Amino acid sequence: MDMAFIIETIVKIVVILLVFSALAGLGTYFERKVLAFMQRRLGPMHVGPFGLLQVAADGIKLFTKEDIIPQNVVKPIFKIAPVITAATAFMAAAAIPFWPQFTVFGYTVHPIVADVNIGILYVLGMMAIGLYGPLLGGMASANKFSLISAARSAAVFISYEVVSGLSLLAPLMMVGSLSLIDINNYQAGGIGNWIVWSQPVAFILFWIAAFAETGRTPFHLIANDHEIIDGFGTEYSGMRWGLFFIGEYANMFFISFVIAIIFLGGFGDGSIAGAFQLLLKVSFFFFFFLWTRAAWPDVRPDQLMWLCWKVLMPIAVINVVITGFVMMF
Amino acid sequence: MHSEPLNDRNVSEQSAYYYVDIEEYPTTGWDKFKQVVKRTFRGELFVGLWVVMREMIKFDIHTVQYPKEKLPIGPRYRAVHKLLRLWESGYERCIGCGLCEKICISDCIRMDTKIDENSRKEVTEYSINLGRCIFCGYCAEVCPELAIVHGQRYENGSEQRAHFVIKDDMLTPLDFLTSGQQAEYPGFGSITPNESVTKTPLAY
Amino acid sequence: MNEITITIDGKQVQTQEGEYILNAARANGIFIPAICYLTRCSPTLACRICLVEADGKQVYACNAKAKEGMDINTSTTTIEAEKRAIMEVYDVNHPLECGVCDQSGECELQNYTLEIGVDKQTYSIADTHKPAQDWGLIHYDPALCIMCERCITVCKDMIGDAALSTVARGGENIEAAFKESMPKDAYAMWNKLNKSLIAPNAGDTLDCTNCGECTAVCPVGALVSSDYQYTSNAWEHTQIPATCAHCSAGCQISYDIKHTDIANPDAKIYRVKNEWNYVSLCGAGRYGYDFENRNVTKDTAAFDAAIVAFKGADTIRFTSTITNEEAMILQRLKEKFGYRLINDEARVFKNFLGHYSGITGESLYRGSLKEVHESDFVVSIGTALKTDNPNARFAMNNALSMNKGAGLYFHPINDPVIEDMSKNVTQINYAPLREETALYLMLDLFGDKSAMPSSVTDYLSTFHSLKTVTIEETVDEKVTETVTKKVLNEETGLEEEVSEQVTKTVKKKVSKEVEVDSNRLLDLLNAPANFTETLTKYLAKKEKFSLMVGPDLYTHPHAANCARLVGLIEKYTAFDVTMIPNLANTLGVALICDLDESAGSNTIGYNTAGNFTLSALGGGDLDMPALNQQEGTLTSIDKRVNPTNVALAFGGYVLNDIASALGLEASLTVDYTSQLPVNAGFKAVEFDTLPNHYTNAGEEIRGYVLESQRVEVSGDESVQAFDENSALQGNVVYLANPVLQFTSFTAVSHQLHEEGGLYASTAFMSANDLNAGDSVRVETSHGEMVLPLVNDSKINGDITYLPTFDSKINSSALFGGYRFTTVSIQKV
Repeated sequence: MDMAFIIETIVKIVVILLVFSALAGLGTYFERKVLAFMQRRLGPMHVGPFGLLQVAADGIKLFTKEDIIPQNVVKPIFKIAPVITAATAFMAAAAIPFWPQFTVFGYTVHPIVADVNIGILYVLGMMAIGLYGPLLGGMASANKFSLISAARSAAVFISYEVVSGLSLLAPLMMVGSLSLIDINNYQAGGIGNWIVWSQPVAFILFWIAAFAETGRTPFHLIANDHEIIDGFGTEYSGMRWGLFFIGEYANMFFISFVIAIIFLGGFGDGSIAGAFQLLLKVSFFFFFFLWTRAAWPDVRPDQLMWLCWKVLMPIAVINVVITGFVMMF
Repeated sequence: MHSEPLNDRNVSEQSAYYYVDIEEYPTTGWDKFKQVVKRTFRGELFVGLWVVMREMIKFDIHTVQYPKEKLPIGPRYRAVHKLLRLWESGYERCIGCGLCEKICISDCIRMDTKIDENSRKEVTEYSINLGRCIFCGYCAEVCPELAIVHGQRYENGSEQRAHFVIKDDMLTPLDFLTSGQQAEYPGFGSITPNESVTKTPLAY
Repeated sequence: MNEITITIDGKQVQTQEGEYILNAARANGIFIPAICYLTRCSPTLACRICLVEADGKQVYACNAKAKEGMDINTSTTTIEAEKRAIMEVYDVNHPLECGVCDQSGECELQNYTLEIGVDKQTYSIADTHKPAQDWGLIHYDPALCIMCERCITVCKDMIGDAALSTVARGGENIEAAFKESMPKDAYAMWNKLNKSLIAPNAGDTLDCTNCGECTAVCPVGALVSSDYQYTSNAWEHTQIPATCAHCSAGCQISYDIKHTDIANPDAKIYRVKNEWNYVSLCGAGRYGYDFENRNVTKDTAAFDAAIVAFKGADTIRFTSTITNEEAMILQRLKEKFGYRLINDEARVFKNFLGHYSGITGESLYRGSLKEVHESDFVVSIGTALKTDNPNARFAMNNALSMNKGAGLYFHPINDPVIEDMSKNVTQINYAPLREETALYLMLDLFGDKSAMPSSVTDYLSTFHSLKTVTIEETVDEKVTETVTKKVLNEETGLEEEVSEQVTKTVKKKVSKEVEVDSNRLLDLLNAPANFTETLTKYLAKKEKFSLMVGPDLYTHPHAANCARLVGLIEKYTAFDVTMIPNLANTLGVALICDLDESAGSNTIGYNTAGNFTLSALGGGDLDMPALNQQEGTLTSIDKRVNPTNVALAFGGYVLNDIASALGLEASLTVDYTSQLPVNAGFKAVEFDTLPNHYTNAGEEIRGYVLESQRVEVSGDESVQAFDENSALQGNVVYLANPVLQFTSFTAVSHQLHEEGGLYASTAFMSANDLNAGDSVRVETSHGEMVLPLVNDSKINGDITYLPTFDSKINSSALFGGYRFTTVSIQKV
């Protein structure tokens, strides 16, 4: 490996880290604003114009807040758990092409950290490891609500891994590659080539599973405020809690990218238009996360499990079988 | 909505309490599946999405940005108490009858009275313990002299609540009175026309 | 009196024959409105609101007597109309100042206006300006007065000052039209009301003994305490049921307490209230309430010093202003550590009672003030009644005015207050030391000569002699005269002279010489000349006899002989004897403690001077609670053990703490209540079970009454002759207190604060060319001191007196035990 590649990779990593950390913050701003507008409110208004600097204010608050480690927690695990969440979220981003390749000053930039040929498998895997954040954090917190949250997150993550994996199996069978670049290029022909048209069931299933994996409403039961306070985050304060937060929002962005790339054609042919289309698609999915939060109620854990194992997983299996049959004949 | 069943507080099967019309919960797996399908395809989820989206588009915001804008409060609003003065003479209206003290259900009013040099009852001290006051308005309602009323000052942030309820703070300052800034209170205790009141005959 | 049954509103009611319907109804819980009536006084008939229909006839319940089988209806259409009109009239021009009026909340005008439901006024009259008047302790606002005349009634029938009366009101007359349109009784009541106002007999100022009972009975805010005025509302007070701690009457009172001010939540006594229908207070009880020992904290050093002092002391000297429980603690300390208990006034009382029991065989005297109230012939010997025990004076006055009674008052000092009680009271101002003579006179006049020991009858007969006196008698004589009259002859129309014989009866005075019995006892006592005739008049139709004896006898050099004479009077006359104990709990102390005559060298003083002083007045070595800061019982003149409660908190140590530290085990002082000596008549009951109230029927439900114990008698009923030459002559000084003062506790209260001096009558002062405020040297055989001269308008004669209430004047040092002593008074 040459030095330029290492430098380029490091630069990419730093850029992604900075951009998505900032986006996580901005995401909260948008979430607040969108929820407020949908509820006939104004949302943050005081800090900066239209409350824009609220993000900075929150950031300062989180960074400067006292880092409290409660007495009875398992200290090393308690301390490391938020890092796992944030780290795995960003590690998953390594295989995601955020942008078509472009040329700057004659230097071709690939806006992907590592175009590995098992890209999507790596992304799903990293996200699956993200489970350890809530699980360990919740178990180490010495708090019964945190413990319930940890148990719920383990159940939900493992269950919906099944759905997301099986639902992606059908498109992957069609594409024949696990690389997200390949999947993107498979659909480069235009809107008619989008996998969503050939795999609508897989699209819906993956989308639903994405809600479960990010723990967003209506599947917010991991940290359902009205039942279990902040779940695994109950005992955390300051920037440790902030890391959970960044991880959650980063995950929302990355999963939005994944959905857009796999089912909705990604950046298409790699033109500038395609690139911006990708951003629009990602924005829509992110917005949809917020939208559902404003509109929908939460489901109960048992309903969620029931939905997973008795409805979504069978449908996903049937979808794979049908896809297989269609491809065979 | 008819009120008879509500007015009848004699709770029984036939009276105010009745069962709402709830469908039987599905018992078999198949029935549950049918229910999910039925609910899913009825589009209830999309109705929810539409409703919030509609409101966002209409952008009909109801927020009052409180410290910068304030809603007008009702004239009968019951905020921190005030002691008023007589318009003509500027004397305190309070005669120290102690009815407010007596009627106060949280027992938070106290006053000291004495006989003054003009042989009148003088209220030397008057205090309301705002830590206990529930702003029920009974004191203003019972006051025969319209002396204690509720003001409009509802912003009670202070180092000590006592700052609001020392007699001198509650009493209308004389310069306020002379400049006509003392407002009569239209709420509890204000005079309401009552047709059953007849005039007492006077021989002069 | 016979038990009868009457019917009130369909309810069968048992009552006494001759009882007023109102009282019968009240005793049985039937409400009849009444404003002017006072239970123990004569009906005034001012308010007329107690109208009822008895056997179909409208009568006033307050003065109509119940008869067997009477059927009473308290509500008819006419009666309701009358009541309504009466209340409307009372509301005419009544100032609408309830907001500031002191009576608001306990005002009978408010209550009855609401009870009758006056919501509209029909009557009117032009008002006049009636300025408020300040009468010292009492404030009168005529504008508020409804002329129920309760104040006049109570002052005359109960107190005996008769200091108030009605004067013309002035102002306009009632419109003539009302006479036709109004109910009859309401008009009559209004007519009376509109003519008069209350005023003191002495003009602008009130000349009385300042008992303040008029303010207590006033149903409205017209008569109020000047000090209390505008400081509080009635409903703010917590009422602490208590027993007055100043004298032996043991009146039931309530200390009305409230927080001191908005900054100070500690309780303060604002006033004293009494159940004026059943108990009357004197001024000391009513105004002398703030004698508490203030701002006391637990001073451990002083307490430790007290324990050391107790361990080193051999004598405890104390006064009788303590509770029975404290007396019991002192007695227990004596039993355990052998202290000598010194309390001279209780000791002489105890001895007196003992000698008395030696004759009667009863440990206690038979009478009580309640008996005095009910009697119709009352005698008082050896006590300055109005100051020794004001309630005894009220009782005597009440008996004289309500039972058509008569009375004798034996005392060296002539008392104008006694004089004003009734025209049927005679004062016999004997020379000091002649108390025995007075007692012999009682035996002579009222004793059952056939039953009395012959030695006594023989001795008494030596004073009798036959004397020839010339008396003037009026004789009816018939006189026949011939008169010439001019008569008009009807036939002729001319006048003619006609002679006629006329017989007339004319009264003629005849001088006659008769032999009468002369009683030298009367001469020795300086009795009025016509005493025998007066007494015969007094004694007509008398049934119930009461004798009150007082401290002059207990301190008398021949106290034992006096006591035996009193015992004989109890035994051989119709009189019930009541003894007036000197101080609040003298009787209790006398019954509980074994008192010693001589003190040791190392003395603990409790409320009195000692080597180590415990004081409830403050200023001693260790602070003690005053009686309004203590719970416990007090034994009254009525032989009743009355509970009193804590009105004000006390932060320091109490006697029980000292006793506990010395090894007596009791967590509370009142633990001793049940341990009071049963063999002295006390009962083993817990303090918390003692009641303290009156019923609607006027029954006194307070504590319990001591049981008199049988005492072995020797059968020796001999008494000694008295020394005819022993009487004190010349200038004499008496040991007594002025009106409103009893002890230092009354003197410290802010309304009664007073400096003592030598008290003298106006006559004495003008005769000796002295003025109030002059410093005089008072010299007796026991010592001398220089004191300011104070005028007391409530005594007559030459005898001066020295007070005991002022702790700065050690007046008893000038006396040799007996309350009188000869004195020389010089202006300095």
